[in-house]
Amino acid sequence: MSASIILEFLRQGWLALAGAFLAFALLAGMAQMLRISSAGVVGANLWVWQSVSALISLVVLSLFAFLGIPQIVQALQHSLPGGAGCGPISVLGTYASDLIGGLAAVRMLKATFVSVLSASIGGTSTFSQALIECGEAIFGMLIAAAAIPLAAWFLGTC
Amino acid sequence: MFDPIMEQILAIARDAWAFLAGLLIVVALLGGLYYVLQGTAGAAFGGSRMTSMAIIGAVGLVILVLFAFLFLPQIGEMLKNFQPNPPF
Repeated sequence: MSASIILEFLRQGWLALAGAFLAFALLAGMAQMLRISSAGVVGANLWVWQSVSALISLVVLSLFAFLGIPQIVQALQHSLPGGAGCGPISVLGTYASDLIGGLAAVRMLKATFVSVLSASIGGTSTFSQALIECGEAIFGMLIAAAAIPLAAWFLGTC
Repeated sequence: MFDPIMEQILAIARDAWAFLAGLLIVVALLGGLYYVLQGTAGAAFGGSRMTSMAIIGAVGLVILVLFAFLFLPQIGEMLKNFQPNPPF
């Protein structure tokens, strides 16, 4: 019951974060276009190239967030052993794998959102930071995939 | 659950979009004026390279503004279609 409430909370958070991501990605694109045009007028070539690369990284980051992250989360959730054992251990394992998947998905989307947010206020688009955080989340899910069967075995399986 | 917050964020984002679009138009107009001045000055004292660079700059500026106002909304529409449901 409580797990489904938390999962519903995470789902709502995912939807809100995805909507805000879209809005801020467009704002970041507009900010970079403004930077390109103003730098082009004053003849600052380096600024122009920085902004062009930031614009391309924004598009790549958005595609990664909207197409890549759901696929990664689904693939990892399928690899998580949910129902090891039987009885309460099995139920707890299923809840745990669902919660781990939800938390990792929201965390990955949050990492890309922070990158886009920093680009929208004129900062650099920290694409590498977003990828590092996504990697941490994936690593955490892989460790959990090993930990759930071990816990089930330790606590007793049927 | 997050709808009231989202409405506030989207209202701010809409205002910011309008502000950025206005600023882009102002910067483009100023840049265009600068290129016109450069072109006329070049034409007045026979600087053909200066004039041609000014023409190229003005055309580039127009292309940039068109790119911003036509390409970005299309990208937004595309991303809106890709907006994923929760994968968990």
